[in-house]
Formats: sequence, structure tokens, C-alpha cells
Amino acid sequence: MTFAVQKDYGAYVVSSLFDAADEAIVALSDGRVVFVDVDMSFDAHPGAGILCAVAHPTGVGIVTGGDDGRVVWTTKDSQPIELLNIKGAWFDSVAVNAEAMLLAAASGKKVYIYDLAKKGESKIFEHPNSVSGLVFDPKGRKLYCASYNGAYVWFSRIHPQKPQLLKWAGSHTGIAISPDGKFVVTSMQENALHGWRLSDSKDMRMGGYPTKIKSIDFFAKGKLLATSGANGAVVWPFLKANGPMGEEASEINADESSMVTVVAGAPEDTVLAAGLDDGRVWVAELQSTGIEYIQREKGSPITALAVSGDAARILFGNEDGGVWLFESTH
Amino acid sequence: MADTASISSKTPVTVLTGYLGAGKTTLLNRILSENHGQKYAVIVNEFGEIGIDNDLIVGADEEVFEMNNGCVCCTVRGDLIRILQGLMRRKGKFDAIIVETTGLADPGPVAQTFFVDEDVKAKTYLDSVTALVDAKHFKSALDADRVVKEQIAFADQVILNKTDLVTPEELNEVEARIRGLNPLATIQRAERSGVDIKSLLNQHRFDLSKMDGIANHDDHGPDCADDCGHDYHYDHSHHHHDHNPAHGEAGHVHDEHCGHDHHHHDHGHAHDHGHINPIHDNEIRSVSLSSDKPLDGVRFTKWIDQLLAAKGPDILRAKGIIDVAGEDKRLVFQAVHMILEGELQAPWKDSENRFSRAVFIGRHLDEVALRAGFEACIKV
Repeated sequence: MTFAVQKDYGAYVVSSLFDAADEAIVALSDGRVVFVDVDMSFDAHPGAGILCAVAHPTGVGIVTGGDDGRVVWTTKDSQPIELLNIKGAWFDSVAVNAEAMLLAAASGKKVYIYDLAKKGESKIFEHPNSVSGLVFDPKGRKLYCASYNGAYVWFSRIHPQKPQLLKWAGSHTGIAISPDGKFVVTSMQENALHGWRLSDSKDMRMGGYPTKIKSIDFFAKGKLLATSGANGAVVWPFLKANGPMGEEASEINADESSMVTVVAGAPEDTVLAAGLDDGRVWVAELQSTGIEYIQREKGSPITALAVSGDAARILFGNEDGGVWLFESTH
Repeated sequence: MADTASISSKTPVTVLTGYLGAGKTTLLNRILSENHGQKYAVIVNEFGEIGIDNDLIVGADEEVFEMNNGCVCCTVRGDLIRILQGLMRRKGKFDAIIVETTGLADPGPVAQTFFVDEDVKAKTYLDSVTALVDAKHFKSALDADRVVKEQIAFADQVILNKTDLVTPEELNEVEARIRGLNPLATIQRAERSGVDIKSLLNQHRFDLSKMDGIANHDDHGPDCADDCGHDYHYDHSHHHHDHNPAHGEAGHVHDEHCGHDHHHHDHGHAHDHGHINPIHDNEIRSVSLSSDKPLDGVRFTKWIDQLLAAKGPDILRAKGIIDVAGEDKRLVFQAVHMILEGELQAPWKDSENRFSRAVFIGRHLDEVALRAGFEACIKV
């Protein structure tokens, strides 16, 4: 397999993504942000580590949260811009919404809401327990915060307020919302997902995983939800009004010798990529059942994976800092 | 986790406990400021107490979570899981991690985190739980809060601090009480938290492959690692782990209360812990069981499983080495509350006397029932 880019950056790859301009960007644990196509690197968090990253809501560049208490926006054309700087904070989750131009960043029990339109103004949502996952609804009206014993729901722009709690016992570590805004799904400390149908807060238990789920991604126009945490990529159908209720998940390309550590689907297509704990990466076109290993060579576990908007490019990285950019010739 | 090859690639974590005012902050300041050739990441419960600016100090919330797995005492530190995951991505920036707990914290959840969470377990290992004790205020702390006892009972090593503030007699009494609560812990005396920083690490107290110390553990003395570096006033042999474990206890199962005077036996090793006899506590105590007859492996496994399932909340720590009938390798186990780890380790040597020994530290232990259960496992 030949790659458009193949490079060793020597630090754990925390996140990989494509921005709206199809710029391939990775965030590294040593505080660097790298624009992979042009091999341009910025020290976004000098002397510190990046813990989380998302594409900026303008569609240009990347927003990173660090263990230096800073949230930083980095584009290819300017030096890193600091959005938040809270002494002692440890930002391990960040979410944005393009419609409302809002950014949320979590450190411990506090979630900071930063209004990108009215720069400098930030609100704090306090929780009884730490928040480890954040997601806005599609319009940016509400913010969902994964925490202990459920997900807290806040109106993004109202302050002060008392949040609603979507209750479910246990520690919820990650969170995703279906693109139609009808379902919220969390990954848990236990080897399970939990979901809520938001119209009536009805619970959906989605279990049966052999390991912890670290990666969840809605794809194919929100009709499918892919997760890591098994030998194959687990795909839950969200084709009907009830979501996955009463439906069974499918496990794609289960290989007993390895575990899927990270998944990424194409936003519009039934194309799904999976990174494995043995360093390999495969891509599947789910309607044709064609599966192709784009990385056959084994190595350290894949930690970051992204599929571009047109599904033509796949960017991934591993624990040791290896980064690969695959471009489809089809 | 007993695989030494894999352990060497994991980052050691030392948990530092101790009641309010015991000297944890002083010790952490020393760890962060002194030039000892090691770099530590320190997870503290309160920012600001540490007077040193260091990018590897992380504030934690001490959030204890219950796991949804039906295990009633299975609590973990959720904040710790996230912080450790973040730190482990910056591997190479530090050699080891120290987790400070608040003075009022039960060490159980923090220790259990290292056995329950698969990601934490994959990248780190719990090296030891170390408790600091203020010699001067020990008695009043004991009266004020039962967590003081639990911290000591849970610990692998105890730093008996502020020894300069008490008389030798008072100090001996405090040490005797500590030994009464925990016969397995190493006790190090210190002034102003002045211990050898390096000796705090590389204890491997939860590592099944290095649990031989329990075999030679003197019922009335501490179990110490080869490089524990403690400063006893008597001749301390560092070679006693290689010695034959014989305590002269042939043919019967007993524990420390059986009335023998063990110190008159030939222990085959030079040091004598008998200078200070333990003062026992009526709530938390230890029970040490041993036998030189092989045990039935199936029966023992069943017994320990049932025991921990029923009494796990009260059993703080357990360790043991078992001679299983018909098995060439020794069965080694350790438990934190209900979480049990056991595996077959190094084979018995021909020259070695085979034996079984199990030590339980916990609240309200029923010694008679424990001994009866253990004896019922002897292969007939």
C-alpha cells in the first residue's frame, strides 16, 4: 500500500480529522498540531499535552484542549489562537457547534461554554461529578454532558439554569448524538453503550461488548452508528423511528486476533473505517460488503482515525506517533 | 500483571495515603524539588498545597464511582482513570506516578482502580500503597477517625514520620500499634518526611511474581522488599528472601496468636523483629494461616472465592503462597477487597520445603472460621 503521506511524529496521536477545506490535521500528545498534507507543525500547547480535539466550527482549522488549562484554535495560516486559559484545568473533552458558533470544553466538574461570536465571554456549567464527554445537538440549542449516573442536558445559551438529567446508573465516558438530534448514545465505564430516545427519554441498553468502548461515530447520514470495543466494528442501525430498539447490531470484519480501537464512518456514505490494536486499518463499503486493509503492517495500536467528507481520504495515527494519509484511487 | 516483561514496560504508580498533617505535602515537595534522578508525575487532591510549579502536577477530584458489576465493594476512582489515560499518552516525560489521596480517603477505591479498569491496567501497575503516620498525633488521629486504621491496615509500607517529636518509648508504642494493624507492611522511621525517595518506589507489592516475601514474613514483623532501604536499628539481612521459609512449624496450622514464641525458633535469617511486639486492635487485625501439608487446589480456590464474595467488604488485603497438591509450581495470590488475582508462579525447588501461607488483614476477622476454612483445604 502506498500512502499520500506517511510520517513518524514521535508522539501519541490524540486525534486526526479533516476540516471543511479537506485539510488533514492531527493533534499530538506533546502539544503539537500538524497539517499533514503540507507537513506544517504548530506548537499549540508548548510544553504541555493535547487531550482532545475537534474541527473548528467555522470549518477551518482545529480546536484542541490541553492539560495546560488552555483551549487553542490552530489554522494553517496563523499562529495558534488561545480561546480559553484556566489555571490548573485539564481539558479532556471539547465540542463545537457550527450553527450556534459555540464551543464547550470540560475540565473536571466544570464545562466552559465559549461563544465564538461574542469573543471572550464564557459561562460555566457546574456538575456534581466530572464530565468526560460533550456533544451539542445539531442546532446548538442544547449541550449534552456525559457524567456519572447519566447525561446532563443544558440549554446552551441560558445561564444560570438547572440542567435536566438523563439518568442511568454508572459512569458515562463518551457521548454522541444522532445527526437528526433524536438519539443520544453514551459509552460507559462498563463494556456497554447506553442510549436515550430524546422524545420520551426512553432508555436503550446496548451491551454485549468484550471490552470498553472508546470510539463511537454516527455515519451514513446518521442511519448507522459504529463503535469500537469488539473484534470487529460494531454497527447499530438507526433506520427506524425507534432507532436500534428491537434491532440487532452487526459486527463487521471480526478478526479474533485483534480488537477494534477506533472507528470512523463517512458522513454521507456507508463507508466505514476501523483501526485495530495491532496497528492495522481496514475500510469497508457496507453495501457491497467489500473490505480492504489499507494498512496491513502491524504496529502499535491505532489511536486516531478520520474519513474525509467525500470518503476519498483516510487519516490515521498510532500510539507511537506514526501518521498515515491514504487516498483512494477509485 | 505478573509477567515481568510486560511490567517493565508499564509505569509504576505509588499511592500515598496518610491522615491530615502526617507530612504528605512535605514529602511531595521533596519528591518534586530534590535531585534524585527520577521524574515523577504527581496527582494531588488539592492544588496549591504543593509549593512548586511543575507541569507534571495534576489536580484530581477524588471521585469514587461504583461499578455496575454486582460487586458491592467494587468502587473505583473515575477521575484517576481519565488522568492516568491522559498521562500515559505522554509516556517518556516521567518515570513514575505518585497519587496523593486526601487525609480522609479510604485507599480501597484508588487501589481497585488499578485492577478494575482495563486501560489503566494495560499501561500502569500499582507499585505500592504507602501510608504516612504522624508519630506525635497518631493516638489522637486514631481516636478521631477510623480511616487512620484503615490506611495503615491497607498499606504496603508505612513511613512513621515526625519521630523527633516523641520519646523513644512513645515511638515504640506507635510502631507496635502499626504492626498490630498490619504485620505485612514495611515500617520506615523518618523525621520531616526524610526518607530515601528512590526507596519508595520499585516495591512491586502487588506483583504476583515478586510475592515471595510473604513466605518469609515473620508473623511479628514486616515483610520487606530487597531494596526497601529502611533504617532499623538492628542488623537487617537483605538475603532472607532466599532462605528456606521454615518457621519450625511442622505439622500444624497456626497463626500468630497460637501461643508459640516464634522468636525462639531458628528463622534462618539474621534480623529480629521482636524488639517491638505488636499491639493489637480490636477492630482491624490480621490473621496469618500456614501449613506444611499441600492443599487441594480446587477446594482452596472455591474457599477463597466464597470467602472474598462473602467477606470482601471487610477484607482489606490478602496475600498468600499456596502449595497445591500435585502441582510443581506455587500458587500465588493477592486480593484487595473482592478483587482477587492469583496464578501459578515459580516452581518449588527440590531443596525447598513446600508450605502454604495466607495472610488476611481486615475488619472483624473471624480467626476460628478462617482457620477452619483453610484447614479444610488440606489435601487428605
